[in-house]
Amino acid sequence: MSQVSEPAHAPTSTGIEHKKLIMWLFLASDCMFFGTLISTHLLYRKLYPTGFTDAEGHQRFIQNLFNIELTSFSTFILLMSSFLMALAVSAMHKGQIKSFRRNVLGVIFFGLIFLGCQVFEFTHFFHQGLTIQNSVFGSTFYVLTGTHGTHVAIGVLWLILLYFYSFTGKLGGHVGALDVEVAGLYWHFVDIVWIIIFTAVYLVEYLGPSGFWGTGLPLTK
Amino acid sequence: MSDTAISKDFLQEEVRRYHHFITLALWLAAITGVEIVLIFLPAPTAIILTVLCLLSAIKFFAVILWFMHLIYDHRLLFWLFVTGLALAFATFTALLALFAVERVDTKWFS
Repeated sequence: MSQVSEPAHAPTSTGIEHKKLIMWLFLASDCMFFGTLISTHLLYRKLYPTGFTDAEGHQRFIQNLFNIELTSFSTFILLMSSFLMALAVSAMHKGQIKSFRRNVLGVIFFGLIFLGCQVFEFTHFFHQGLTIQNSVFGSTFYVLTGTHGTHVAIGVLWLILLYFYSFTGKLGGHVGALDVEVAGLYWHFVDIVWIIIFTAVYLVEYLGPSGFWGTGLPLTK
Repeated sequence: MSDTAISKDFLQEEVRRYHHFITLALWLAAITGVEIVLIFLPAPTAIILTVLCLLSAIKFFAVILWFMHLIYDHRLLFWLFVTGLALAFATFTALLALFAVERVDTKWFS
């Protein structure tokens, strides 16, 4: 791993800035948190492959519920927001505050689009009869993707605050760049969690004629 | 070096990273496209699932190494994150092992 000559910071026993170290510790713990949520979803999906029963008493197949085009679009949007975040952090390191503002606005915009897609998806699922209470799939799906969505919402809020804070003139120098970098780490983490959710929750439902988990019951579309 | 003074080497390194970020973003978009095409291919499920997992792992590590600067940063940060990741994966493996029994009487969970 190459070392870059960065501006000096206050000496620490590890040689790493405290804010950055604490953020990485938090992300490591959040990794375990999402690890358990994803594991729970996959295990219950295996144990209960039957999907859910809607309000009319029809057995519904999960694959028919998902909209892969919408989810792929959300994934693409989140990946591109991560790219813009990397550019925003790079701009702050170079002291280019205007470039930082442009890029961070892009991240906020993409983050809001992602949240909008999730709200649309949840609303659509609810109208299709999938609630957090009526099936194990509903419980694990809403808890997992809802927790991720909450993380995205917190990230958007954090970036909005940073954006407005940059106009006070206090977000500059090495300390300002570090603050943006820490926010960037959080945003990228939200992105990598979605990379896993996209495959483990959405894509596997399309494997094979009746999804990776099977149906367990005759199909009713 | 003061807070505002940025060395020429540092700027050059940032420009180099900038180009890495653009290349990586294009690769991430391309891999996501491949993943979506893969699920509709008439190939054995096991093969597609393996490829999907591999592609996800590539995307995951590409983001943490380049976008999250782990490849440029202190090694301790890398191992710190890998510890969390390993614990998460161990939890998943342990749960899989616990529920690997063919016939689980699910009435106990309902």
